[in-house]
Amino acid sequence: MEGPAETTVYMIAGYAVIFGVLFLYITSLWVRHVNLSRDEATLRDLERDDQS
Amino acid sequence: MKKKFDWLLVLDIVAGVGMVVATGLVFFYAPMEATMGNVQRVFYFHVANAWVGMLAFTLAMISGIIYLRNKRPVWDIVGLASVEVGMVFMLIAIVTGSIWARPIWNTWWTWDPRLTTTTIMELVFASYLLLRQGIEEPERRARFGAVYAIIGFLSVPLTFFSIRIFRTIHPVVVGANEAGAQGAFDMTPKMGLTFAVSLIAFTILFAALTWHRIRLGKRAAAVEEQKMRLAQ
Repeated sequence: MEGPAETTVYMIAGYAVIFGVLFLYITSLWVRHVNLSRDEATLRDLERDDQS
Repeated sequence: MKKKFDWLLVLDIVAGVGMVVATGLVFFYAPMEATMGNVQRVFYFHVANAWVGMLAFTLAMISGIIYLRNKRPVWDIVGLASVEVGMVFMLIAIVTGSIWARPIWNTWWTWDPRLTTTTIMELVFASYLLLRQGIEEPERRARFGAVYAIIGFLSVPLTFFSIRIFRTIHPVVVGANEAGAQGAFDMTPKMGLTFAVSLIAFTILFAALTWHRIRLGKRAAAVEEQKMRLAQ
C-alpha cells in the first residue's frame, strides 16, 4: 500500500515563512516604537530650549 | 505614582501562549494526513492567517464607517492599523498556500478564482497604504482612507465566496467541495481541534498586534502634532 507523500520540506518552508514574516513584522513595530521614543526625547529637548 | 495596569501586556502573554499551544498541536497532536503527508500541516495556520486577514479588512471597513460618522482621528488610526496587520496575515496566507500547492497541485501558482480574488484583495489594500502616503492633509487623508476601506472591503466577501460561486480547484473547509477540488481531506476530531485552536490563537495574536499598531499610530500622531507646534 502506498503511504503518504514525502512533503516534509514544504511543511518546513511553510512554517519558516509564517514565523519569519511574523518575526519581521513584530521587529518592525518595535523599531518604529524605538524611533518614536527618540523623536519624543528630541522634541522634549527642543521644547525645553524654546522655553528657556 | 500607581502604575496603570497594562492590559496589552496580558493580551501579549495570552497570544504568545496561544501560539505555542497551537504550534504544539500542529506538530505533535494532529495526525499526518494519509495522502498529502506533512505539508497538510500548513493548512492549520494557512486558513487561520486568511481568516484573520479578512477579519482585519472587515475591521478597517467598520472603522471607516465610524470615522465618517464621528470624524474622530482615532478611528483613522484603527483603520490604518487593521489594514497593515491584515496585509501581513494575508501575505502569509498567500505564500503558504503557494507552498502547499506545489506538491499537491504540482504548481506554485494558478489563476484559480480563490487565488485571483485573494491577490486582488491584497493589492487593493496595498494601494490603500500607498495612496494614503500621497495625501499631506490629515483630515483629507483620513476621509480618503475611510472611503477607500469601505469600497475595498467589497473584495473580502468576493474572496470568501469565490470558492462557493465559481468553478475552482481550491478545497472548501466548511461545506461541500467542488468536484474538481484538489487537496481536500476529511478532518478527524484531532485535526478539527488543532484547527479550532489555531483559529483562536491567530485571532488573539491579531488583536494584540493591532492594539500595538494602534498605540504606535497614536504616538506617531502626537509626535507629528508636537512637530507642527514647534515649527510655528
